[in-house]
Amino acid sequence: MKMKKMLFAAVSAGALMLASPSLAATELTVQRFFGACDADFGTNTDVTKAVGECGIITSLINKFNADNPDVHVNVSTVEWPGYDQLTAQFASGDAPDIVTIHESALSDYQSKGLLMPLDDLLKSVGVTPDAFTDAARNGATKDGKIYGLPIDSWTMLYHINMDLFKQAGLVNADGTPMLPKSPEELLAQAEQFKQKTGKPYFVQNLANETALYTRNLYTYLFQQDSDFFADPKHVKLNTPEAKKVVEMYKAIFDKGYTTKDLDYGGAINAFLAGDGGVQLNGTWVVGDNNAQSETKGTALNKGGYAVYPYPQLFGGAHAQYADGHTWAVSQKDRTPEQTAAIGKFLKFFADNDFEWSRTGHLPAYKAIITSDAFKALPHRNTIAAVADLGRPLPSAVQRQFAIQDIVGEEMSAAITGQKDVDAALSDMESRVNELLANI
Amino acid sequence: MRGPAISIRGRAFGDRVLLALVILLSIVMIAPVLWVIGLSLKENAELMANPNSVFHAPYTLKNYINTIGTSSVFAWVFNSIIVSGGLTLGTLILSSLAGYGFARLNFPGRNILFVIVLFGLAVPEQAVLVARHQIFSILKFHNTYHGLILPGLSASFGVFLMTQYFKAIPKELDEAALLDNASRFRIFWKVLLPLTVPAQATLGIFTFLGAWNDYLWPLISATKKEMYTLTVGMASTQTNFAQSEGIGFLMAQAVFAGAPILIVYLFFQKYIVTAVSGAAVR
Repeated sequence: MKMKKMLFAAVSAGALMLASPSLAATELTVQRFFGACDADFGTNTDVTKAVGECGIITSLINKFNADNPDVHVNVSTVEWPGYDQLTAQFASGDAPDIVTIHESALSDYQSKGLLMPLDDLLKSVGVTPDAFTDAARNGATKDGKIYGLPIDSWTMLYHINMDLFKQAGLVNADGTPMLPKSPEELLAQAEQFKQKTGKPYFVQNLANETALYTRNLYTYLFQQDSDFFADPKHVKLNTPEAKKVVEMYKAIFDKGYTTKDLDYGGAINAFLAGDGGVQLNGTWVVGDNNAQSETKGTALNKGGYAVYPYPQLFGGAHAQYADGHTWAVSQKDRTPEQTAAIGKFLKFFADNDFEWSRTGHLPAYKAIITSDAFKALPHRNTIAAVADLGRPLPSAVQRQFAIQDIVGEEMSAAITGQKDVDAALSDMESRVNELLANI
Repeated sequence: MRGPAISIRGRAFGDRVLLALVILLSIVMIAPVLWVIGLSLKENAELMANPNSVFHAPYTLKNYINTIGTSSVFAWVFNSIIVSGGLTLGTLILSSLAGYGFARLNFPGRNILFVIVLFGLAVPEQAVLVARHQIFSILKFHNTYHGLILPGLSASFGVFLMTQYFKAIPKELDEAALLDNASRFRIFWKVLLPLTVPAQATLGIFTFLGAWNDYLWPLISATKKEMYTLTVGMASTQTNFAQSEGIGFLMAQAVFAGAPILIVYLFFQKYIVTAVSGAAVR
C-alpha cells in the first residue's frame, strides 16, 4: 500500500514536470481586425513568408507565442473596425487586454479613461516616442501621452496608370508622372488626359462612400492652412477654403474627369482594367497594384504603375490627412506579470514593424523609413514622404468615424449635384457640431 | 396521390403564357444565387482584377477550404444551431400556450393584456438595445446561450399568429372534449395543438431563419470568439475591403452559412405553403 502511494506521488510529480509550459503562462486577450486566415497562416511562424495584413499579423502573433512560452496570446478577430463590439465590451466590463484601434478612434476611449497610457510601459521595454515618425507620434498622442503603440501610418495616394499618362503626355523627361501644382492645373491636366485618352483622369469610388470624400477635404484644408478644428468640439467647415475644395471636386465630376457611380470594389476593378488614369486609394492597395503591374497582359503591366502622395495644390502647409493603426491597452487592474507580458507584446511589434510595413502601410518608426530594406520594397521610395507629410485631426477630436460619415454624405450630395455647395457645407457644419455637442 | 402529368400541349394559351412568365421569374430569382455560387468558386485576386472572370475557368474550391479551415467555424455553426434551435423551440412553446390562452380562456384583463402584447410589434429592437445590454451586463448574461436566446422569446408576432390560428378552430371540438371530461391542458395538447401544425411550422421556420441570420444582438452580446454565432464569426474573418479583395471568399461564406437554412426549408416547405394557402395538411 505504501509502495502504491509512493508510486502515485512519483507519477503525479512527473506529470506536473512534463505539463505544458502554457499552464503557467500569463494569458493575454488580444482583439484585432484585419480578418482571419487560419487556413493559410494559422500555424505559420515564419513571418517573412506571410503576405497581406491578415497573413502578416497572424504570423507575427504566432511567432510571439512561439518565442515567449511564458505568455499566451488568445486572439479574437472582429469585423472591421470592431468598435461596436469594443464599446459593448467596455460597457460590460469585459474588454480585451490589447486591441487594435485606429489613431482617429483612440480619443473616443481615452477621453473616458478606458485606455492605459503607455509612456511608462513603453519606456520600460525600450520603446521611446522619439523613435516614431511624426505622423505616428502625433496620431497616437492624446493629452500629451501615448495611448496606443503605433504600428503604421496610412493615407490616401495617387495610384497612377503610367501607360495612360504617357498617352496623355503627362510624363516628365525623367519618367515620373506630371502632377498638378494647383486646382487650375489639375483641371487642365484632367482635360488634357480626357482629350488624349478618351478616359476620365480619376477613378474614384463615389457611390456608397463617405471616407474618400472626407479624406480629400481634410487634405486640401490642411494645404490651405485651414484650422477647421481649432476647437475640437466645434468644427468650421462652411468656409471659403472648404468651398474651394468642394467646387474643385464638383468641377471634376461635372466635366467628366472622373468615373461615376462606382463603389469601392467597382473602382478597383475599373482602375485595374485601365479605365482611368489615377485611382484615389490607400496605402493598403500598393501591394495588389504592384502585383498586377508585374502580371503580363494587365493594364498596369503595359506601361507601369506609379504611386505618389497627393499633390500640393495650395500654398499652405505641405500636408495630407493620415491615420494609423495602434495597439491600445485597456485600463484595468492587472498583476505585474500581466503588465510585463503586455510590455513584451508591444516591444515585439515595435521590433517587427518592418514586417508589418510589407502590407503597404507606412512604418511607424523613423529608423525603418530610412532603412535600405524598406526603401527596397516596391514604390516605397515615392511614398515614404508621407511619414513627414501625414497629419491627423487634432488629438482631442472625438467621434471621427461618425464625423467622416456626415462630411462624406454632404460632400457627395454637393459634388453629384443633389445639393447646392453652400447648403451642403452649411449642413455639414451644423450636423457635425450637433453631434459633438451631444457627446 | 398525384394526378397524371398534363403536357403543355393540353394547356390553354393563357396557361402557356403564365408558365413562360413563371419560368422567366424563376430565372430572375435564381440568377443571383447562381452568381454567388459562381463567385465563390473563383480566386479572389482574379475577381479583383476582372469580375467577368466568373464566366470562365479556372475554378477553385480554395474559398470553401479557407472557410472550413477557419479554426472556430464549426463551433460557430454549433452555437448558431443551439441559439436558433433553442429560440425556435421556446418561441413555439410560449406562443402556442399564450395563443391558446388568449383564444380560448376567459380571464380578467385578457383583452388589455393582448393589446399590450401587440404593442411589442411596434417597438423596434434598436430602441431597447442599450437598456437590454445594461441589464444583461448586471445579470452576467453576456457570452452565454441564454443571453442570446432570451431576448427573442418575447415574440409578439408568434403570440398573435397562434392566437388567430386557435380562434379559427371550431369551439365545438373543445366542447366535445369537455364532455369527455378532458382537462384544459389535455384539450390543448391532444385536440387543438395538432391542428395548428401548419402555423407552428411557419412560425418555427421564420423564427429559426430570423435567429440564424441575427447579427446585431450577437455582435454586442457574444463578444468572445468561442461564443460567436455563425453570422458574427463569419464577419470577423473578413478583411476591411472584403467586397473587393476577398469577394470569392465572401461568397463562399454566404453559401456555407445559407446551406443549413436551405436544408431546413426543404423539409418544411410543404407546411409553409399549406399555411399560406389556408389548406389542412393530411
